[in-house]
Amino acid sequence: MNTFMRSAFMAVSLLALGQAAPVLAQDDDATTLSLASTVDNNSFDVGALQIGHRVQYWMPVFDTLLVLDPKMNAQPNLATEFTYNADNTVLNLKLREGVSFTDGAPFNAAAVKANIEYIRDAAGQNSYMVGSVKDVEIVSDYEVNLVLNAPDPGLIGYLGMVGGAIASPATLGTEASATTPIGSGAYVLDASETVAGRQYVYTRNADYWNKDAYPFEKMVIIPMNDLSARLNALKSGQIDAAAADAKSIAEAEGAGLTVNATQVDWQGLIIADRAGKSVPALADVRVRQALNFAFDKEGLVKHLLLDRGAVIDQPFNLQSQAFDPSLVGTYAFNIDKARELMKEAGFENGFTVKMPSTPAFASYEPIIEQTLNQLNITVEWEKVAANAFIADLLAGKYPLFLMSLASQTAWMDFRRFAFTESPWNTSHVDDPALAELLKTAQLTTGEAQDEAMKAANRYITENAFFAPWFMVDAIYLTDAGTKVDMQNQNIVPWPRNFAPAN
Amino acid sequence: MLGFLLRRLGAAAILVFVLTSLTFVLVFSSAQNAARNILGESASQEQVDALNRELGLDQPLFVQYTTWLGKAVTGNLGKSWTSNEQVASAIANRLPVTLSMVITAITVMTIISVLLGVAAAVYGGWLDRLIQFISVLGFSLPNFWIALILVLTFAVSLRWFPATGYVPLTRSLYGWAGSLALPVAALVVGGIASAAQQVRGAVIDVLEQDYIRTLRARGVSPASILFRHALRNATPPALTVLSLQFIALLSGAVIIERVFAIPGMGSLTVDASLSGDTPVIMGIVIVLVLLVSLVNLLIDLANAWVNPKVRLK
Repeated sequence: MNTFMRSAFMAVSLLALGQAAPVLAQDDDATTLSLASTVDNNSFDVGALQIGHRVQYWMPVFDTLLVLDPKMNAQPNLATEFTYNADNTVLNLKLREGVSFTDGAPFNAAAVKANIEYIRDAAGQNSYMVGSVKDVEIVSDYEVNLVLNAPDPGLIGYLGMVGGAIASPATLGTEASATTPIGSGAYVLDASETVAGRQYVYTRNADYWNKDAYPFEKMVIIPMNDLSARLNALKSGQIDAAAADAKSIAEAEGAGLTVNATQVDWQGLIIADRAGKSVPALADVRVRQALNFAFDKEGLVKHLLLDRGAVIDQPFNLQSQAFDPSLVGTYAFNIDKARELMKEAGFENGFTVKMPSTPAFASYEPIIEQTLNQLNITVEWEKVAANAFIADLLAGKYPLFLMSLASQTAWMDFRRFAFTESPWNTSHVDDPALAELLKTAQLTTGEAQDEAMKAANRYITENAFFAPWFMVDAIYLTDAGTKVDMQNQNIVPWPRNFAPAN
Repeated sequence: MLGFLLRRLGAAAILVFVLTSLTFVLVFSSAQNAARNILGESASQEQVDALNRELGLDQPLFVQYTTWLGKAVTGNLGKSWTSNEQVASAIANRLPVTLSMVITAITVMTIISVLLGVAAAVYGGWLDRLIQFISVLGFSLPNFWIALILVLTFAVSLRWFPATGYVPLTRSLYGWAGSLALPVAALVVGGIASAAQQVRGAVIDVLEQDYIRTLRARGVSPASILFRHALRNATPPALTVLSLQFIALLSGAVIIERVFAIPGMGSLTVDASLSGDTPVIMGIVIVLVLLVSLVNLLIDLANAWVNPKVRLK
């Protein structure tokens, strides 16, 4: 009897283990792409969509009018042709025929008009992307004209991002749109498997017109804020790819993961009070240039970024239309030159400046303080709560501060910090000379525009609006079964950039 | 017994009111930047002001509080500022995850700590010293470190368990057990150490009482003395410790949920705090205070059940 009981117990146990195995098994399914995301999704309402990490949530379901390849060149997508008129104030879009949303509604000119106007008026973080569109004229069922307030050099790029995201018109502005997206994209959000905060499951849209661009049958995105959790999930085979940082590279390579990188964010000082209202010294370009020469940027990259970054002198990425190779090395580390400039400006005895202190940049504060002390500049740190930091900076409370800003398309960057009303021109300093250069960039096209963008960058760099230190490598890890093309100017790759390794 | 119950419920209601009021003042007084954080850098000041009006943040704090309280007592906890999800829905999605982890942990902890505590108290000698040593060791190891060791060993190296995530019990019993095995193990190690010591002390105290000696003298079997008399009288202090452990496990879940990427209340709390999502923070506070009050009430009732003297106090 005892033998029988032992045998029965063993049999039941083995059966139980057999049942458990598929559930506990790791996700080795080559037809499913499993990603971990650093942040949870905010909303699927097209008026609230975001770029950065969150593109991975909405791009599977919402197709865009244009598509930006990994080098950020605009390619046809839902719009098959895009052409400007002579003065760049009307953008004509010819639309793809035969496309339907997953609720059965047709994609057409009326849908484009409804979406663009909705995104523009939604007051979302990216409403500015179609803010220049005054009117959407329907030429025919499959052709529209975007009539602009003024030429917008960024618009073509924006139509490959949030500005061009197209949802079924019936869902626009509905409460359900935040959680139940209806688009015409390559995938459909599986509501039965998706739980906000836990996982987002996407299954293939059987009617999608461009299936070959998305090789996976299914996508799963799991919000995973903690870096060690993402690494463990990758190493154990639970997920295929995730964002990481420079400190994780050795561990990732040891585990056979592939390290991918692109450069998006730059860090450095923003010299906000260029008019010298609260710190008169900052109005002198020689003082601002001294701040550029004072920092050992090579040392910062080596020790802070573990060599996963690049020293910069201008606030634009290498691929930017505004990037000017002739500016490389303009502010190579030279503390003697910095002191000399301070002396020439009459500030050899330095000055005092109030800077914000926040946990995110706490490790940089001793470096800033020690470096500026060498120029006899005294820093008074003011504690700022993490959730008040950006608001306080944007409100112009600080004449000088450390910041990390994304560098994307040239016009997005200029818009971010170069105009009087730009958010990161936090003191809203008016600069007519720069405004003239920007106007030229706005009104020209082709090589003339390239040169105008570079000229505006030269003005900003030579007048030391900032003291940029370095571009940071955005690290993205993939397992052996997955390959990916990093997307220039975005911190994580876009869903269409993934493919099975074999 | 009814009077006892009503007194406890009244105390719980006062606790909920006081704590939520204090939390409201603390979090809403620092919420002035919420609109800017939601709308982002490109929004105009007019848009920021409009959202502030929509969220009621332009009102005096007292008005904001009474408005919020009026809705909260009807079960309307508002919407998340960052995701637009209903707060009640966000909590309803995540609370079962944390509760299933914590209830499993407290069950495991109770069983193991009672076994270890009683064994140490009854047998003494080397077994007592060994159990005390293990208890102190478990007490001194931080649970996040234990969690990392467990995940590296059993998930990354051996691949016996998933490294991250949570499988609902309704979907798969084995998946649920597998997804909770490592988090629960990490949570209970420190708690077992503490609870086992308390059980050991309580049992030793009871076993040294005169009536136990009398029972022995009357020839009552050691098993009967232990299970019918000693354990029952050692229960109240053990229950109190376990109720404290339950609350400690809820706190510990914040760290454990991050390490194992478990989408429970802990991760919701961290995300809401970092993003300044005040309605979610308030909802979490209400639910946790209610939960703690409920646990304390149940423990009081259990104590009253096993010890009639408690009911008379």
